[in-house]
Amino acid sequence: MKLDFPLIWQKLPFLLGGAWTTFSLTCVSMLFATIAGLLIGLLNMFGGKVLGAITRVYIEVVRGTPALLLICIVYFALPSAGINLPQFTAAAVSLAACYAAYIAEVFRSAVESIPKGQTEAAFSLGMSRMQSLRYVILPQTFRRILPPLANEFAALIKDTSLVAFISMEDLLYRSKMVSASTFDYLSPLLGAAMIYLAMTLPIMQWSRSLERKAS
Amino acid sequence: MDGDMQPTGMILEVKDLRKSFGSLEVIHGVSFTMSHKERLVLMGPSGSGKSTLVRCLNWIEPPTSGTVIFDGTAVDPAKGDIRKLREDIGMVFQQFNVFPHLTALQNVALAPQIVKKTPKAEAEKEALELLAKVGLSHRAGYKPGQMSGGEQQRVAIARALAMHPKLMLFDEPTSSIDVELIHEVLDVMVQLAEEGMTMIVVTHEMGFAKDVADRVIFMDQGSIIETGSPSDVFEHPQQERTRSFLSKVHLA
Repeated sequence: MKLDFPLIWQKLPFLLGGAWTTFSLTCVSMLFATIAGLLIGLLNMFGGKVLGAITRVYIEVVRGTPALLLICIVYFALPSAGINLPQFTAAAVSLAACYAAYIAEVFRSAVESIPKGQTEAAFSLGMSRMQSLRYVILPQTFRRILPPLANEFAALIKDTSLVAFISMEDLLYRSKMVSASTFDYLSPLLGAAMIYLAMTLPIMQWSRSLERKAS
Repeated sequence: MDGDMQPTGMILEVKDLRKSFGSLEVIHGVSFTMSHKERLVLMGPSGSGKSTLVRCLNWIEPPTSGTVIFDGTAVDPAKGDIRKLREDIGMVFQQFNVFPHLTALQNVALAPQIVKKTPKAEAEKEALELLAKVGLSHRAGYKPGQMSGGEQQRVAIARALAMHPKLMLFDEPTSSIDVELIHEVLDVMVQLAEEGMTMIVVTHEMGFAKDVADRVIFMDQGSIIETGSPSDVFEHPQQERTRSFLSKVHLA
């Protein structure tokens, strides 16, 4: 078994095409996951008992089941309920639904990390709960939430590889296609690994520098 | 605001106020009254309930039972009185609790804008005047992280004053400040007292209490055990617990 660099080089455009699918799927999923996650987190913390309980159940169910299972439900099971989503949409919907739960938790722990005295000070000045959130708590939360959000983004890049299971031609799936046609399993997979790293390492680096700046 | 108007009646009447955390009662039916422009110092060992008591007065800790009559009206949380009450009662915290994402100027100008709907220009103009009053004109554009504890606490005082409170609560305002900076904060508080601000101050600063307080209330284990003028309480304490506390504070 040896590394076939010329093969990786030759198949690079094909692999990069898969990487583009990985990247665009990550961006679309992350966008919706962030919006939904912030909303779910807000409802969970401040939406009252009923909404708080519903969102808590959602968060725990999603966090307690594999992301791949959610993808399978959306892609394989929903059609029998009459909901037929195109491959990319199905993948984006399930990954966004999954990461929304993680991001809601990231959001919650960021809000909880703001000292209680901040809310007390806002209340002592006559602010309502909404005003204290909007002007005092959330602006401080958004600074703290960026580094963990960047980490979630890097994790999502890796988790998009699950869509290979529904035959979406992402980076992992295409590297397996190259393997299948050349009977060289190592080189295409290592090539894919390097492309994944080229995407995740800068983001994790950025996250760390944000963290340093925050502290 | 009320200029030369002679105050009449009481600003604050507290009747049988109790506060429990779970099954633990930490304030056991405290009653006292306070007239306009009075300066009251609350003392007592740690855990005596003095901080909890002042935090109950603006419902930062909701009292478990009892009556608070502020400026002639019994406070009724069910009627949504709490926000109005908090607009009229300023609070200064031990940990400052200034808003770290805002400059000193923005800290002071925020609440008048969003709570009282004061136009921004007007709120900032007054904020600058208040910062000048606490000696921080040169820090208007600084954020709390760039300021000393004494400066942050003075910003917090200016922030509370911006709402034109009728009563100011100080909850151990100098306990988290470096010794050599405490006087900065005490000077501002003395100045406020001289201007006629009605205030309740939880503090162990005996000098401040002697110079400024009209009355000292001494608390222990959730009850008021002694009250009187500073000279009465400090020089002729009636209770053994007061004597023992004072002897420790004197030594410190």
